[in-house]
Amino acid sequence: MVAVGQVKSGLRARTRFSRVTIYRIVALVVIIALWEGAGASGLFFRGVIPSSVFVTAALLRLLGDPVFWGHFGVTLFEIVTGFAIGSALGMLGGLGIGMNRYAGQVFEPVAEYLASTPKVVFLPILLILFGIGVGSKISLGAISCFFPLALSIAAAVRNINPMYLRVGQSLNLTLTQRVKMIYLPALTPAIATGLRLGFGIATVGCLMSEIKLSNKGLGHAAMQAYGRFDIPTMLALLIVIFATAALGNSLIGRLIRLPGPTNRRVTHVPR
Amino acid sequence: MSPSPALRISRVSKHFETGKGRVTAVDDVSLDIMQGEFISIIGPSGCGKSTLMNMVGGLLTEYDGDILLDGKKVSGCQPEIGMVFQEESTFPWRTALENVAFPLEAAGLTRDKRIARARDLLDLVGLSGFENHYPAELSGGMRQRIAIARTLAFEPRILLMDEPFAALDEQTRLLLGDKVVQIQNKLRQTTLLITHNISEAVQLSDRVLIMTFRPGRIKRVIEIDLPRPRSSEMMGSEAFGRYVAEIWQDLREEASKGLHDAEAAARQG
Repeated sequence: MVAVGQVKSGLRARTRFSRVTIYRIVALVVIIALWEGAGASGLFFRGVIPSSVFVTAALLRLLGDPVFWGHFGVTLFEIVTGFAIGSALGMLGGLGIGMNRYAGQVFEPVAEYLASTPKVVFLPILLILFGIGVGSKISLGAISCFFPLALSIAAAVRNINPMYLRVGQSLNLTLTQRVKMIYLPALTPAIATGLRLGFGIATVGCLMSEIKLSNKGLGHAAMQAYGRFDIPTMLALLIVIFATAALGNSLIGRLIRLPGPTNRRVTHVPR
Repeated sequence: MSPSPALRISRVSKHFETGKGRVTAVDDVSLDIMQGEFISIIGPSGCGKSTLMNMVGGLLTEYDGDILLDGKKVSGCQPEIGMVFQEESTFPWRTALENVAFPLEAAGLTRDKRIARARDLLDLVGLSGFENHYPAELSGGMRQRIAIARTLAFEPRILLMDEPFAALDEQTRLLLGDKVVQIQNKLRQTTLLITHNISEAVQLSDRVLIMTFRPGRIKRVIEIDLPRPRSSEMMGSEAFGRYVAEIWQDLREEASKGLHDAEAAARQG
């Protein structure tokens, strides 16, 4: 732990690192140290916890391997397509359930039951319907992210300040105008959160079905590595999956500009 | 002033069916509002004044009697009747300028035109310089002025204001009253104001209507014959005080009925 202390004080000396950054680096170092310690301790079967050096080597080898990039492309395509379909339908469904009282009464209980069902139970049906290829993965990803998105947006629609809707009503706005000028901007924070959540869940759906039954994709490659007991490669693949999910999540967060003065300081000067 | 009224409320009644039976909220109310006139409706809580406002504004469409705008029956909401609500209603995702431009955007005006018009209106309500501020960065009084400017933006024939200053503190309310007087002098906007603040009603109105506690009827109409332009400074004058006292005489009885009723309901409750 001497090394950690040195890193910590060394970084603190340079003020351009914020406190949070320092803690993050410290946490990472601690985790890697624990990992190495557990691997070297002899408490586990040899090779189950490979040294991070081997994992890094496997990762570098993968990044230079065109076969890996093929798997990566397939998985990325599945996640993005499944997410796009599921979130588009989820948003429409959420708006519909939230805006129309009868639609809400009819569909919401059903949607809530389905939302708490693990979507992987649909996999056999999807395999029959769409085959062992990307179709079954995309559809499971789409189904996975549809429900949480639809339900969270429906709840957000009902939480819109009724005054906004009354202003729209008093101006006699059309349905399209109300959706475009009131509902969507009022829902932007909920949509942003829903999309980030949905992206993660779509990723889980795609990878779960890849791991279960597939012939392409990162999940498939990870299972192959597992079959060969090539744990460093398997872990490297998991790191790639993790990094992809994290990147996608932060990308969505950045792409959606939250309305209003969220990032502004109050600067009003009375005149 | 044209001889035919801008807005005619003719024998309007409204009943609600509740668990305890039929409740008459508004009972046989008739009122002619002339072009450019400023009328206040004052009454105790629960006298049906907001119900009346919602009927005139078209938010409530089922009632007995007629509400005519320039001789034509009001059916549903229409841009000719602009509403300002008591509650916070500015859009937090739009700047002050974009808020005021909102109805103009809905009406399909070009960007340049609506920005120019919204600027004029912000200036009218005394908020030039705050065009790019979001509502969260402004005070409650400023936000309510944005709401007023937003409603004035599409030049309604009638401006309906439902206790627009009720949520504000007394000093802000007085200053905003002065602002409304200034706007009134400039636009001669035909206005119907719902309020329970007596001095506000006297300061702003040509006529004040006192409503009874449930069922809501017009108890009395008082013409406010004070010189214009007015301001909150004249509140100390003897004439002003007489009007306030006169209205309170009538209102006191109704308000105590309301209070008594509410207490009885709470005891049963």
